[in-house]
Amino acid sequence: MKGAVAVTGFSLFTPFGVGWEALASALDAGRVAVEPATDAPAVGVARIVDFDPLRHVNVRGMRVYPRATQLEICAASLALGDAGLSGDAALDPRDLGLVTASSYSHLETLLEYDRGLVSAGMQRTNPTLMPLGLPSAPGAATGLALPARAFSITLNDGGASGLAALGLGARAIAAGRARACVVAGAFTPFAELLESSSRAGNAASAERFRVLDRDAAGVAFGEAAAALVLEPLELALGRGRMPLGIVRAESTRFAPTAELAPALGRALSAALAAAGAGEGGVSLACAGANGSPREDAAHVDALSSALGAHAARVVVAAPKANLGEAFDPSGLVQAVVALGALRARRAPPIARLTTPRGSALRLPMAPAELAPGLALLTSISPSGSCSALVLSLGAE
Amino acid sequence: MQRRVVITGCGVVTAAGNDLESFWKTLMEGAPCIGPLTGFAYAEMGQLSGAEVRLPAEDALPPDVDPDRGRARCLELGLAAARRAWAGAGLELGPAQRERAGVSFGTTMGEERQVGDLSQRRHAQADVGVDARFFARANNHRLAACVASTFGLGGPVLMTTTACSSGNAAAAQAFDAIASGDADVMLAGGADVLTRLIYCGFQRMGVLSASVCRPFDKSRDGVSFGEGAAAVVLESLEHAQARGAHVLAELAGYGMSNDAHHITAPGPHGEGFVRAVHQALAHSGLGLDQVSYVSAHGTGTPYNDKGESEAMTTLFGARAKRVPVSSIKSILGHTNGAASAIETVACVLAIQQRAVPPTAGWREPDPEFDLDYVPGKGRPHPVDVCLNLAAGFGGHNVCLVLRRFS
Repeated sequence: MKGAVAVTGFSLFTPFGVGWEALASALDAGRVAVEPATDAPAVGVARIVDFDPLRHVNVRGMRVYPRATQLEICAASLALGDAGLSGDAALDPRDLGLVTASSYSHLETLLEYDRGLVSAGMQRTNPTLMPLGLPSAPGAATGLALPARAFSITLNDGGASGLAALGLGARAIAAGRARACVVAGAFTPFAELLESSSRAGNAASAERFRVLDRDAAGVAFGEAAAALVLEPLELALGRGRMPLGIVRAESTRFAPTAELAPALGRALSAALAAAGAGEGGVSLACAGANGSPREDAAHVDALSSALGAHAARVVVAAPKANLGEAFDPSGLVQAVVALGALRARRAPPIARLTTPRGSALRLPMAPAELAPGLALLTSISPSGSCSALVLSLGAE
Repeated sequence: MQRRVVITGCGVVTAAGNDLESFWKTLMEGAPCIGPLTGFAYAEMGQLSGAEVRLPAEDALPPDVDPDRGRARCLELGLAAARRAWAGAGLELGPAQRERAGVSFGTTMGEERQVGDLSQRRHAQADVGVDARFFARANNHRLAACVASTFGLGGPVLMTTTACSSGNAAAAQAFDAIASGDADVMLAGGADVLTRLIYCGFQRMGVLSASVCRPFDKSRDGVSFGEGAAAVVLESLEHAQARGAHVLAELAGYGMSNDAHHITAPGPHGEGFVRAVHQALAHSGLGLDQVSYVSAHGTGTPYNDKGESEAMTTLFGARAKRVPVSSIKSILGHTNGAASAIETVACVLAIQQRAVPPTAGWREPDPEFDLDYVPGKGRPHPVDVCLNLAAGFGGHNVCLVLRRFS
């Protein structure tokens, strides 16, 4: 990635609250937000309670937007504020880009619109709902709200777009396509997803849900929204902004067969190579493991293989153990968790972990001290895309 | 140093034909393929009009790809186009090369029919549940993933959506993957199908044409829809030359902008188009004076065509009347996320054939604009540098620059 790309702001909405402090204390304490779903009690789900978008951002049409879109707009707006790029310091909208990670956020609206079409007929449908049922709609609404006029693009990478979206945003910044770029995503679990996953045998109950554990039984789902602001490091420093982190490299690879670990391993190797870093420089692995035995095994195997002899001293964090699988925003949440852990030199424990999967890696059951170094992030989409991202605190 | 990206294979499945020869011949004749639909219906709207693809039986999805037979039309079209592009490029990759080859596809709606089917079943029988495969089928990334699995590709596999500019946005992602050295080969394309949501939504918004769309015509009254897919094989120049591939054209660069004006309406005066074109040409190292053809977004709606014409006038100034601008949506209907991918193939053929396709149905000039919309039939024209313009709901503008390879 030519030219260093800095993270200069972020925001988070999770079931533990708004912002990093609320999440950090929950992670540190090993709290799990997953509960039995009201409409599908056999499935675990973690929801954000008491969310009122107008408490955070007041933009035209906010009440009409679906909840996931409201969450993304709020996350993106708060992240710009955190970066010091709002109000009087706001950029010319033509200098602000937006990358949205969103595979499923439109589906609930689409289901609602289509249900109305079939049951009440075309003339009784709400015409404003139709454009909100497009997969690009959350990004379009967020671009309108900010506003972001340099570009707006949405990745639909099957539920693990967050890391790829950060990579895309960083490349766009490095190429000079915008002065700053917001990378955002949001996900709200909905009934059809829970039912389909339950029938497919992929879902775990709230009670049985655990991650990177030999007894992991499946996925629980979580509601979340996150956004990060990326800028050229030089420009950030030029306006007196110390970076929260540096996006060193990202790589996405695909598993054309059922074998996920080799594809994730190739993504990890490519990302480390692009970052100009050896595996010895990694101190934290922030894995997108979600309780699916197949995916958990792939994260462990790929990380163990990529880190080689260094694996035993790399601490692994897995925030989905606390939050559930939130798909597209998950990679963004992982990025915030990784930067927070590097800064504090302390990694959170993996919640509910009792019998760790795999022996090569350090899977902590209590908060663990971190050596200075890089963070390596991983994600896997249900359709086989595997992404890896390298983050550091400084530009060195 | 950015690597050069070239096009070595093209594939289309459209109402104008499923091979390049018949596709180009139909385009040049300027005969709209828009008519009464037989393969898709929505009773409440009566007889629907649009442009349908007729796929040969060998393009039907195999049961291992589509266990719920016939319920993945978008995937079927996308895979059919990808197969044609792959075959056209004559690619034979070994295992290591396949790990540096990927897929980047775009779609506006993807498998929206999955949702339509579910609503219909639930309406007929209230207690119908959601089946175990619903979530996987409704996942847009399935299209890119299935294309990659079919060809055994292990590089970046991306699914992009910017509404109706998705095909161009996908090509832009593929361009970056190759130019940066992250991949050597990318299959880039777009696919979309006719859906109830699109017909009803546009009808309710009052932008569905009552007959056949007539982009840029004074009496244009809206969009006609079509279905289709297209794909191109993109390679680094080094990779293409090393295997002795025939280069069809060069993808020289791209530009993006966002109107952020309204959730559906384009920004005023085509200002977003202008920014996307300027950025695309700067990225390509080319100037406006070198542009010899513009493949317009040209949907046939009053607002889009006005803004696009204003943009061309702003961009080209005194030369505006001398640069042919045409919209093949007048022939194929608006194929949404597939449209700009199909138009990319049309641009490649325009370069190859030294000719420009027409805007069919254009009869009467809009008094506000006086551009060369290539009315009637296609015509010979020396095409060396093309702009392929696309826009999507929300204001997502993407412009590709294609040039003759030298």
